[in-house]
Amino acid sequence: MSAAPSWRDRAANQTRLAFGQALLELGEREPRTVVVSADTQDLLGIRPWIERFRPRFIEMGIAEQNAIGVAAGLATTGLRPYVCAYAPFITARSMEQVRNDVAYARQRVVIAAAASGISLGVAGGTHHALEDLALMRSLPNMTVLVPADVEEAYQATLATLDIDGPVYLRLGGRVEEPPVTRLDAPFPLGKARLLRPGNDVAIFACGAMTSLAVQASDTLKAEGIAARVLNVSTIKPLDRESILAAAAETRGIVTAEEHHLTGGLGGAVAELLAVEHPTRMRMVGMPDAFASIGPTVKVREKYGMSAAAIAAACRELL
Amino acid sequence: MPESREALLERLRNAARQVRRDVFRALRAGGSGHAGGSCSAADLLAALYFHRMRVQPKDPNWPGRDRFVLSKGHANAALGAVLAQAGFIDDSVLDRFYHFDSPFGMHPDIRMDGIEMCTGALGHGLAIGMGMALGARIQDQGFHTFVMIGDGELHEGSNWEAAMAASHYGLANLTAIIDFNKIAQSGPLDELVRVDPLADKWRAFGWEVREIDGHDMGQIVDTLDALPFHGDRPSAIVAHTVKGKGVSFAENTYLWHSNNVTDEVYERALAELGPK
Repeated sequence: MSAAPSWRDRAANQTRLAFGQALLELGEREPRTVVVSADTQDLLGIRPWIERFRPRFIEMGIAEQNAIGVAAGLATTGLRPYVCAYAPFITARSMEQVRNDVAYARQRVVIAAAASGISLGVAGGTHHALEDLALMRSLPNMTVLVPADVEEAYQATLATLDIDGPVYLRLGGRVEEPPVTRLDAPFPLGKARLLRPGNDVAIFACGAMTSLAVQASDTLKAEGIAARVLNVSTIKPLDRESILAAAAETRGIVTAEEHHLTGGLGGAVAELLAVEHPTRMRMVGMPDAFASIGPTVKVREKYGMSAAAIAAACRELL
Repeated sequence: MPESREALLERLRNAARQVRRDVFRALRAGGSGHAGGSCSAADLLAALYFHRMRVQPKDPNWPGRDRFVLSKGHANAALGAVLAQAGFIDDSVLDRFYHFDSPFGMHPDIRMDGIEMCTGALGHGLAIGMGMALGARIQDQGFHTFVMIGDGELHEGSNWEAAMAASHYGLANLTAIIDFNKIAQSGPLDELVRVDPLADKWRAFGWEVREIDGHDMGQIVDTLDALPFHGDRPSAIVAHTVKGKGVSFAENTYLWHSNNVTDEVYERALAELGPK
């Protein structure tokens, strides 16, 4: 007789599904949890949650602005809303509601945003979210999390229980994100996690780019280059300490993200270093263009979001 | 002895007059402000806070309180006047309208006692109120949520997202009050973008609707006392009002959507509004 599938089996290396699995544990731990969906019951894998906690589930339909406003209203009554939505729509379309009703009014609303970056590659530019980190990072009071794999997505979801303020949780789409973090480690809120040591150059990566950064580091190691890799799963507040340490200890810093080169992880690191410790940098990410239609990995590669491009950026700094 | 109907209406009319006086007092302190939409809402606000809503001004976060969300946040001078009269905030706050570091600005701020949400970016309040009403239902709490919406504000599509969903969820513990004063910042709604037939729109979205004269205190009280209008639908009150009501030079003109209030304007307004 085979064992019942674990949450890891069900998450199938997709952070969006790991969120839905973590939500089940979170719902048991925190009875004030409520889930608001914008017609995203399968996208975030929340049907099991709905079955178990139906009175605390609210379907809002395809109305992201309303979902955010309702979540803010729910939060004022002491509930803990989790808004499940598509990253491109819940950020750009609902930006004013997120800014005013959630961030300005400082309500404990967690926005679980799946299908970020170009994970919906074939859907085209209307469905890519390549500016969501820039938008969310610009809001005071907002915590911005980008898990790199299902372990981190699960742990990050549980970690939101302890964050006294609004949270943006960036999740992937129907694309596998290979395991890159340690099993069962608690989410290091606000801390970049060291994945590869090295003092020649440092790579700060987030989300789907993290496993590619590790690949790049392993490639460089064979060439005798020690590339430190840090997984920045908290984009805001930024882990200043590990970035400033890398700036002091290595010959340059590479950032890697599935996001426009303006305003995301690279922007955050550059803003810090420009003031505190001017450092040579290279930034891997989406240039100032709307991405092509196509399978996610191919589209990423076209715009230089690959292990090879990260390794090349590191070599440029040496 | 219980308060007679005539005594109740007289008390509320006096309260509303005091709200209008305090609106102009705040606007003078600030140098300018939104007199038109504050005065059109004054009678409704007075009846809500001094008759219908269960609130405890000395315990502003009492969990059982009825909720009020001023979606048309630019009428904050009137809301502040009501909150001061009810005792949520010190009366002296009214003299700090627009002042540096004051809690009392052009739009409601959750950091001031009695304010439930930061509003004023239009089209937000109904969704927020709907969240409060759902929160009451989920937690088995008996409070009622009132959302006051401007008529021009109804141009914002987000209102209709909330209107559709609130009726889907049968939120009888939610009431929308539309301050239908027919005039927005740039002119009459009929010349900007028409909102009529307004009551029909709310009915079509599944709300139980009543149309009233938003300055007739008897009608206002009877209508608020009749809430909820339906056991499993949200209620909408389409209140026909006059922009700038009570001050002749501010009535029925977009010029008084927002305008400067000098000492001289203040004295003229107060002379018309009459004594405390």
